[in-house]
Amino acid sequence: MSTVASDGPDTDRRRPTGPSAIELDGVTKRYATTTAVDDVSLSVADGEFFTLVGPSGCGKTTTLRLVGGFEAPTEGAIRLGGADAAGVPPEDRDVGVVFQNYALFPHMTVGENVAYGLKFADAPGGVSDEERVAELLELVDLAGAEDRDPAALSGGQRQRIAMARALAPGPDVLLLDEPMSALDAKLRERLRVQIREIQQELSITTLYVTHDQEEALAVSDRVAVMRDGRVEQIGRPREIYDRPATRFVAAFVGDNNVFDGPVTDVESTADGWLVTVEVGDGTAVTVALDSLPGDGSEGPGDDSDVRVGDRLTFCVRPEHLAVDGGTNALSATVASAEFLGETTRVHLDWGGRELLARTTTGLDGDVTLGFDPTDAHVVGVD
Amino acid sequence: MSGSRTGNGSSPSSSRPAADGGSRQQPRARTDGGSQQRSRSRTDGGPATPAGTVADGERRSRSLRNRVERRALAVLGATAVALLVGMFYYPVATVFVEAVVVDGAATLSVFVEILRDPFYFGELARLFAGESPLSVAGDLLSPDRRLGIVGFTAYQAALSTVASVALGLPAAYVLARYEFPGRQTLRSLTILPFVLPSIMVAVGFVAAFGRNGPINAALGLVGLGPIEWLFSLKAIVLAHAFYNAPLVARLTTAAWESVDASAVETARSLGAGPRRAFLDVVAPQLYPAVLMSAALTFVFTFGTFPIVLALGDFSLATVEVFVYRLIQDLDYAEAAGLAVVELVISLSILYAYLRYEARQSAAARGARPLPRKPLRPPSLSIRDLLPRLGIAVYAAIAVVVFLVPIASMLQASVTDAGGVTLDHYRFLVERQAGGAAFQVQPWPAIRNSLLFGAAALAVALPMGVIVAVLTTRSYRGRKLVDAVAMAPLSVSGIVVGLGLLRGLVFGTEIGSVEIAITGAVAIVAAHAVAGYPFVVRTVAPGLERLDPQLLESARALGASRVRALLDVELPLVWPGVVAGAAFAFAISIGEFSATVILATGADQFTMPIAIERFIGRRLGPATAMGVVLLVVTSVSFVVIDRLGGEHRGL
Repeated sequence: MSTVASDGPDTDRRRPTGPSAIELDGVTKRYATTTAVDDVSLSVADGEFFTLVGPSGCGKTTTLRLVGGFEAPTEGAIRLGGADAAGVPPEDRDVGVVFQNYALFPHMTVGENVAYGLKFADAPGGVSDEERVAELLELVDLAGAEDRDPAALSGGQRQRIAMARALAPGPDVLLLDEPMSALDAKLRERLRVQIREIQQELSITTLYVTHDQEEALAVSDRVAVMRDGRVEQIGRPREIYDRPATRFVAAFVGDNNVFDGPVTDVESTADGWLVTVEVGDGTAVTVALDSLPGDGSEGPGDDSDVRVGDRLTFCVRPEHLAVDGGTNALSATVASAEFLGETTRVHLDWGGRELLARTTTGLDGDVTLGFDPTDAHVVGVD
Repeated sequence: MSGSRTGNGSSPSSSRPAADGGSRQQPRARTDGGSQQRSRSRTDGGPATPAGTVADGERRSRSLRNRVERRALAVLGATAVALLVGMFYYPVATVFVEAVVVDGAATLSVFVEILRDPFYFGELARLFAGESPLSVAGDLLSPDRRLGIVGFTAYQAALSTVASVALGLPAAYVLARYEFPGRQTLRSLTILPFVLPSIMVAVGFVAAFGRNGPINAALGLVGLGPIEWLFSLKAIVLAHAFYNAPLVARLTTAAWESVDASAVETARSLGAGPRRAFLDVVAPQLYPAVLMSAALTFVFTFGTFPIVLALGDFSLATVEVFVYRLIQDLDYAEAAGLAVVELVISLSILYAYLRYEARQSAAARGARPLPRKPLRPPSLSIRDLLPRLGIAVYAAIAVVVFLVPIASMLQASVTDAGGVTLDHYRFLVERQAGGAAFQVQPWPAIRNSLLFGAAALAVALPMGVIVAVLTTRSYRGRKLVDAVAMAPLSVSGIVVGLGLLRGLVFGTEIGSVEIAITGAVAIVAAHAVAGYPFVVRTVAPGLERLDPQLLESARALGASRVRALLDVELPLVWPGVVAGAAFAFAISIGEFSATVILATGADQFTMPIAIERFIGRRLGPATAMGVVLLVVTSVSFVVIDRLGGEHRGL
């Protein structure tokens, strides 16, 4: 499955303003036995909040380290602000970095930590170093913490000090490497809002790395989903969620039900095509394919290429599976249910396979679930 | 942390042009500002963007800087290696060569003679001479077997190991499982023997167990004694236990404290009783530590020298003592041969142990250590009283072995036949104007000790730090570098001293250049070689613990590699460096084996040598000088304990 570019007309409103703040061009990083990053190309616009998300070992952190200059790419080019960064050491890249464990200097106070980068660059805005430190601490809601010992701070506070330290010299790019993975869930949700606010306020180009797809969707302008060192899909959060480009993205981002089976009928309609697919046990469902010209986001290959006999892979979000909903019907048995508060996530047994549904009322016993052909999203045709 | 950050009065965003209104429309404006803001780091270079339009000048200077920084370590490493070769490997190699080259021809005859000589190998020598193993084994079991010098050395080492483990394990039990005031201090004190000069310990034992010592005085009070333990195997084994039991206690305590309490609780919940849970869960985690300390104790006591020299007599000579005698008799070839035999035995044991250790996975620190019981019995039940009674008995023995020798030395240094006196100390600082040149002069010995200590420190400290850096980086061959750099730990001072004497003090020719160093320089070299591994051992853990992301953060904030080294690495490993320095200094101050060979005249004597000369003749000055050594090494100990408490087992 090929990478789907995100060059749609409305995917990147800021693109035309100048060279990309960060640009990766065919970047590959190989170690002795493994390829951590495999031919990754992407570009991050100025002021954009761009997130790399994927399971552990997918190469997202290595990609961030390549941008930071802590590793050198085996192949390909990295450009920062349009200029080739090859051979430029980290200290000359104008990047601010927040690591997963924050890496606060344990032998310095909070104030000394935040002021450290100001030894090598004037404080932005012509203020004194002390004023700059105070400014940054206020920005992260820790005003007056200058003399405290980093070891005496809570995890969330340390994370914010690390942010302040990274931002103090006024970097061009902020690199955040799983900055919240060591924190508890509630705090993570609060801090991610705060990080987003700070990023918006400073309009600073931000490359964010996380394994948490929900976090990625919540804070980002655009998201790149990575797997095994490769980029599976780049797009705005809603795009990634509504129109995953690959089976992997469909399953990784949010809950999903993935189906596949042979095409038994293709019928042309006013809006595109209605394709009938046999998804197992003699159950046939219809899936709508829109055929808007030039929209490559509906999966690889031109939709009109779908023929009887092709194998179609598509997915339906749990929230689109409803009792007696739509024109398609699947007979299933409720296996278990998780009450999540607002909704209930229902696990169903459908001829030995698991289906996920999301309801507000809960389900029980044998049910017939349906979905609308337009709620099915095709991720692959063989 | 609410979203109330809309006012831009004091926020960092105030540098943004006010006109931009919506923050997302003109992001370039801010970035341009950002580039200017960092002008300081840039004005000396070129344009503000990182590269592409970067002037060649900046690129060249940057790559030059990177190259220099990268090379710096290589150059320093090469220097350290060269020093190590000159001060250690070359001299030790000359010992090997001396042992196999007789009259210019290579031969193994020296070894063969040693191996077949019952004087060295006892009944085993007949085995090497080709006799049937059965008859040899039979004779070995008979009561009048001959052990030979090597056999006796192994025998006393085995006895010392048993005594050390027997004395060390109860201490580990108390330290790991009981809570009482002074526990931490006591735990820290287990490192003390590493810095206590063995000759000082010998003085303490002479003072304690002598005919007029406090032990015999106490025994006399209850109508027992007197005991004549001095100059017998008992005193030697006891002194070795003084030295090595704390090592056993230290390593075992550490292992015990890393046992996870929940593992024991799991075993208990599965049906194991307390004793069974101990045997099944705790004990297996202690074996490696006990075995390690036993192996180290055996190697240390196999190579024992000053203690046997001072506390034994001729019939109790160990290999090291005999090597020393051979050197004094100028029989260098046989001395070298015997030294090599000893080295091979020691290294084999050490190698066997290291192979074993490599198979043990590093014990992860238990998430929750076992809880400590109060030392004061919580009730008067048998269950609570019995173990504490045992501890009390152990404590009494420990006082006799560990405390009495030190206390006796202190007491003997301030008393003579007429009562309390400072005469012995006065004797140390008086200039003995009338003394003959061969006589031991205490003041020069003190001065030499301090001088050699400072010089050895000046060599050992930078060397140790460089080697620590080299051994904590990852590259192919790192293990080899580690082994090469740490070898001096396992080679006795006698061998190093002999090598330096024969190889460098007597002079060597490289090409047509005659190279010879003075005895003083050789002593400093020997001390530096003995001390620097301890610098490595104290600095390396700090470097290893150092989070690489601290460095990366500093780099990302604008610090160059060298700058990051000064600002981040050094301050964080500094305690280890200071502790290593204290170690190296203490080792030098107490070094005996190499010094006694290399000190070519009384003007090169150090405190330990002077003490050895005083023992038996003038106990008063010996103890006074022992106290001086105790003070110097105790200060070192305090420094090590305060700053480098986390150094590795050795």
